[in-house]
Amino acid sequence: MPKFMKLLVAAAAIIALGSGMAQARDQVKIVGSSTVYPFSSYVAEELGATTKFKSPVVESTGSGGGHKLFGNGVGLNTPDITNSSRRMKASEFEKDQKVGITEITEALIGYDGIAIAQNGANAPFSITKAELALAVMEMVPVGGKLVKNPYKTWDQINAKLPKRKILFYGPPTSSGTRDAFAEMVIGKFAKKHKDLYAPISPKGKAKKYESVRQDGVYVPAGENDNLIVQKLTKDKAAFGIFGYSFLEENSDRISGAKVDGVSPTPDTIAAGEYPISRSLYFYIKKAHLDKVPGMKEYVELFMSEKMIGPRGLLKRIGLVPLANDLRKQVQKDVLSYKNLTLEDLKH
Amino acid sequence: MQISIDPKQLKRRERRDRMFVGYSYAAIFLAGAFLVFFFADIVRTAWSAFEQAELRVELHYNEEAKEMGDYALSEEMSYLVSRGVTRLIPNQMRENRSLLGTTQEKWVLADAEVDQYLKGKPNRLKKKERQLVDRLRDEGHARLAFNIGFFENGDSKLPEMAGIWAAAVGSMYVLIITFLFSFPLGVATAIYLEEFAPDNRFMQIIEVNINNLAAIPSILFGLLGLSIFINFMGVPRSSALAGGLTLSLMTLPVIIISTRAAILAIPDSIREGALALGATRWQMVLTNVLPLSLPGILTGTIIGLARAIGETAPLMIVGMMAYIPEAPDGFTSAATVLPAQIYTWSSDSLRAFTERTSAGIIVLLAVMLLMNGVAIYLRNKYETKW
Amino acid sequence: METSKIFLYLFCGLIPLAVVAYFLATKKTYSVKFEGETFQSTPGSYGWYAIVCTLFPALLASFLAAILQLTGIVEVPGTALIATAIAIAAGGLWVALMTIKPSLRARAIVEQLIVKLLFVASLVSILTTVGIVLSVTFEAIKFFDMVSLWDFLTGTTWNPDEAVAGKDTQGVFGSIPLFAGTFMITGIAMLVAVPIGLFSAICMAEYASPTFRKIAKPALEILAGIPTVVYGFFAAITVSPMVVSAAEFFGIEADFTNALAPGLVMGVMIIPLISSLSDDVITSVPGSLREGSLAMGAYRSETIKTVVLPAALPGIVSAFLLAVSRAVGETMIVVMAAGLRANLTWNPLEGMTTVTVRIVDAFTGDQAFDSPETLSAFGLGLVLLVVTLILNVISLVVIRRFRQQYE
Repeated sequence: MPKFMKLLVAAAAIIALGSGMAQARDQVKIVGSSTVYPFSSYVAEELGATTKFKSPVVESTGSGGGHKLFGNGVGLNTPDITNSSRRMKASEFEKDQKVGITEITEALIGYDGIAIAQNGANAPFSITKAELALAVMEMVPVGGKLVKNPYKTWDQINAKLPKRKILFYGPPTSSGTRDAFAEMVIGKFAKKHKDLYAPISPKGKAKKYESVRQDGVYVPAGENDNLIVQKLTKDKAAFGIFGYSFLEENSDRISGAKVDGVSPTPDTIAAGEYPISRSLYFYIKKAHLDKVPGMKEYVELFMSEKMIGPRGLLKRIGLVPLANDLRKQVQKDVLSYKNLTLEDLKH
Repeated sequence: MQISIDPKQLKRRERRDRMFVGYSYAAIFLAGAFLVFFFADIVRTAWSAFEQAELRVELHYNEEAKEMGDYALSEEMSYLVSRGVTRLIPNQMRENRSLLGTTQEKWVLADAEVDQYLKGKPNRLKKKERQLVDRLRDEGHARLAFNIGFFENGDSKLPEMAGIWAAAVGSMYVLIITFLFSFPLGVATAIYLEEFAPDNRFMQIIEVNINNLAAIPSILFGLLGLSIFINFMGVPRSSALAGGLTLSLMTLPVIIISTRAAILAIPDSIREGALALGATRWQMVLTNVLPLSLPGILTGTIIGLARAIGETAPLMIVGMMAYIPEAPDGFTSAATVLPAQIYTWSSDSLRAFTERTSAGIIVLLAVMLLMNGVAIYLRNKYETKW
Repeated sequence: METSKIFLYLFCGLIPLAVVAYFLATKKTYSVKFEGETFQSTPGSYGWYAIVCTLFPALLASFLAAILQLTGIVEVPGTALIATAIAIAAGGLWVALMTIKPSLRARAIVEQLIVKLLFVASLVSILTTVGIVLSVTFEAIKFFDMVSLWDFLTGTTWNPDEAVAGKDTQGVFGSIPLFAGTFMITGIAMLVAVPIGLFSAICMAEYASPTFRKIAKPALEILAGIPTVVYGFFAAITVSPMVVSAAEFFGIEADFTNALAPGLVMGVMIIPLISSLSDDVITSVPGSLREGSLAMGAYRSETIKTVVLPAALPGIVSAFLLAVSRAVGETMIVVMAAGLRANLTWNPLEGMTTVTVRIVDAFTGDQAFDSPETLSAFGLGLVLLVVTLILNVISLVVIRRFRQQYE
């Protein structure tokens, strides 16, 4: 008998330990883009360290995965905020509305430039967007027809460029950075030659052509890899394609090439002069604002000058801040939790 | 009949024999050599992580510092001190009003780049900053102290503040849940299969099934965990419960197989003796078979749990690969585990994290060695040869 | 009401009831009413009988309610669930107390129930397999709607963002380069693991002294216990640069994400698997075979080569197949050390990717969840499951034949 009592007491204790302690959710849950992840987790940590709120949990699921989890429903077992390295799609917005997520606030936090980086000791390198496209695409126009990309050295594309072999380490197909890069560089080029590209593009729209060459000149690699920097330091001819924040973090070993004559710096990216840049967002599920402690404070902290301002902490880790007027407008809209509408997304 | 033995052939065979023995010992030594090399390499990289740079600075608790902690230091020093220190200053001043207007000299945590510089590793300090650090070091205001923070703190984006505490607690919670679910189910299944099951087709299917489960790639258990525990049953994502349930399914076959082996090892004479004295089957199992096979069962369980504690792939899918700086305080709050922490640190681009990854690996290996050691000890002490 | 609170209240209600049931039941067996008659079972059994009657119907009912709730058929409010369960429990207790009499075979009832519970426990393992198969197949079917099974299995290009003329969804999903990568790395691993593992097993089984074995066996088990993420880190940070430098020494260019580094490390990880399984098999070859061979004048090594190993061959083959299955399904080492590029090549120094890496990448990537790329993970997972299952079944059949031979 005593043995059995001990067992029961132990069982009760464990159950009490597990379930009694778990109250209604007291932690903000954030999912989404791997590009926004470093900034989001920085703010999360700051919140947890300097206030009495628990640090928000930030998961790097990718923008697509983030939107899916966000759109699972409006209950407390779904994420509160999703980070995104691209604007929410109209289709995602409509799906959210259908599940009951009727009030969403969009927060534009800054820009991310996509840098073409090389070994820091190399001479400065400058190319046009078109030349970059020609180096990277699967099919290129030669003599009025599309052929498989034959260029192996840069001087084959433009005689004024050095005789340097073409080699890229870039994001893999699952990455949002790759999508952005393909859209801005390859898609735009295809659009300019749309009679050539439209027949082989999805839905016949040349601007959606995003195929990267598969012959080993473009090597997919992770985005935040020490391996890429290692490779660039060893292989002086290679280029790495990744977000500006990574370039900034390793600025002692690598430097960015000029595209269309513009170097990737926070000023040129913010002003839109650097031609390969994209906006970073996070989306707030308004229904959770009053139910999850710390959520409002997280949003306020993120939107503060201390974080996303021109001398803010996030700039130090590579976020390119918005221009002053735009930033002030966004801060005002977000802190008043302005509702996102379908019309906004269609622009 | 005359049997002639050719001495040359004999010699050749003897030589081959000796070489064969040599190969087999060589194999073991090769494996051992790898083990030594591996540990030496990890310890070498991890060694520096157990020390962390500190600077002795003057903190002026002035008006500006109440807003932004950086202003408590001179401008050049504020770049050298860790942000983890300066961000706490406003709160400290708010809680302790008497600090305002005072100046204190303290040892504080240095920024990761200073830390890397003092350890002689590649860093991003500018020339002026390096000179300043050199000066501080000469004055005795810079030192490398034991990195207690590594064991006390949770994860952080600032390498100098990052520690494994949160991951360790998370691992412990996950381990408890895994044990709670897989041990009773596993032992129950094994007892049933060995003692009570009729020998028919269905039982054979169950047996084949268990052996298969033991060899299914771990990542598929993650997919199962995602669709059944999280999507269907609504277990919170990233929680110790979700991870524990998934891992318990993975550990189940291991426990079943080793429990069966332990039970099989007990001779039938013990069973028959109990039955002869009038015990029912269940009583016989409960009072004779189970206690005697318990050491074997425990050994198998510990080894299974040790494997579970090192698993990463299924937990990735269940959401435990997140940035969770604080230790979980229950089974349903978000948690991360030691191997996941190691993986996240290893993919961070900041160099200072490399040494921490190795240090985290040492902690994980220490836990595993401990568990395996306990299992082996139990096995040696209680193993009875029937 | 929150699930955890429901659990808490339920157990807080039921456990005291169960304890009360035990006490009341045992007390009843001592009661004056039955004096003179002998009970079928000991008082403790009646106590347990009462507990069973109290808890079992209540737990069964709440379990059913939970299932109904989860499948969305009926909405069960938390308070109703707890109240009903406790009411049922009280009812059960009353029934139990009423039915206790000397002729009640309490022990038999309780023990039969226990056996049934044990059986249900063993069903969990089947449910797990079914669960895995279902969860993977369900999504994989969605994938094979978009990409034909034939193209998937025989295509030699894996390029998720290649535009396919005339189709709406993007991507060419020929999985052969992925499987080629998996098998290349597995092959390298086997080349390392089989000789070392087999010879280690021979050494431990035939030649080693007990003290040597006492040190060597735990050492090999340590190798087995090292977490795969640690092996992966080691492969990426230490072994990979070593391979690249070694290749440079010979004037060949090697990629940092070559297949040799993860292959080698995976081989080391598999050594203990092969060695311990082979050790068991070799030791179980009957001594009579060995002694017969030695009596004929063979050297020890010749005995091993010509008699023991062939006899143990089925077991060794089975171990080999299990090891291959483990290597094919291994994730962390390849995620950290192998590349991301689907590359169909014979050269192990080039970067290539494997099935498991792509599965992880598809789940942690940025693309939309319903895109063919994410679903391809399920397609790959399904093929992975089938392949490992086949390998395991063959391995089991082989070892069963072996056991039949010698037992």
